[in-house]
Amino acid sequence: MKEITFEDFSKLEGGFLLTKAKELAHWLIKKGRSKSLWPLTFATSCCGIEMMSFGASKTDPDRAGILFIADSPRYADAIFVSGTITKKMANRLLVLYNQMPNPKYVIAVGACTISGGLYHHSYSVLLGIDKILPVDVYIHGCPPRPEQFLEAGLKLQELIKNDKIERYKGYI
Amino acid sequence: MINYKEIKSEELRKEAEELKDKYFLFSIIVVDRINEGKFELNYLFENKENADLINLKTFILRNDPKIDSISDIFPAADYEEREAYDMFGIIFTGHKNLKRILLPEDWPFGYPLRKDFVINDEIRNWTGTDLRW
Repeated sequence: MKEITFEDFSKLEGGFLLTKAKELAHWLIKKGRSKSLWPLTFATSCCGIEMMSFGASKTDPDRAGILFIADSPRYADAIFVSGTITKKMANRLLVLYNQMPNPKYVIAVGACTISGGLYHHSYSVLLGIDKILPVDVYIHGCPPRPEQFLEAGLKLQELIKNDKIERYKGYI
Repeated sequence: MINYKEIKSEELRKEAEELKDKYFLFSIIVVDRINEGKFELNYLFENKENADLINLKTFILRNDPKIDSISDIFPAADYEEREAYDMFGIIFTGHKNLKRILLPEDWPFGYPLRKDFVINDEIRNWTGTDLRW
């Protein structure tokens, strides 16, 4: 379904639009879902400090609909995995992920969650959380800037709105 | 001020009983003396009044790493001994809950801080059993 912008509406001089009720509902739900993204804050190291900065007024994620108000995984839509995930922590991260309701999205923040980062040759650090979780957006950096968090959030919203996430194709 | 005192591993509990009233356990430091075939254990105790340290140094054999637990005398030794077990594989006889503390519960690759522990790709790529969404 083609997305209708404000300009399209302004060009219309009367007339009417035809659509299927199901498609209209899908369009509305996807749009609504993308604009009220409640991320779960999961911070284990320095990327978590940058995430706090991201939540503050300078970057202000609230204006994009990313609200840091989910205190429990039961309310959360997305998870910012920020910081080194050790092999022991991986189990706990998976428990949190399984507690989140569908649809749920994962954002890998920083070099450690992408590949192990500085601890790539260590025995105790997971070599990227995509070994255990389906990651939708990666943010590079060690640690990344708050602006990169915002861009990742907007990118995820775009993916949700355009139905580009494979495992939730056609999910309502 | 630190006072060093080298003791035999069998005397550890007796020495710890004597220190019980005036001292608290500060730390347990393990050194892998692989060339001598021994583990060196340093029990650091700190005086409650003037912060003096006492270092009880003892050696145990590397191929039979067993020593008496002092976790019933000094409760702070509980986690310290579990960490020493986790990283070096030292068995503290008499410890009530001797299991892994920092590594995963199902970790199969031995004790990582021993000098003969080699990090290979199998260890690095291990993520745990059935750990997938």
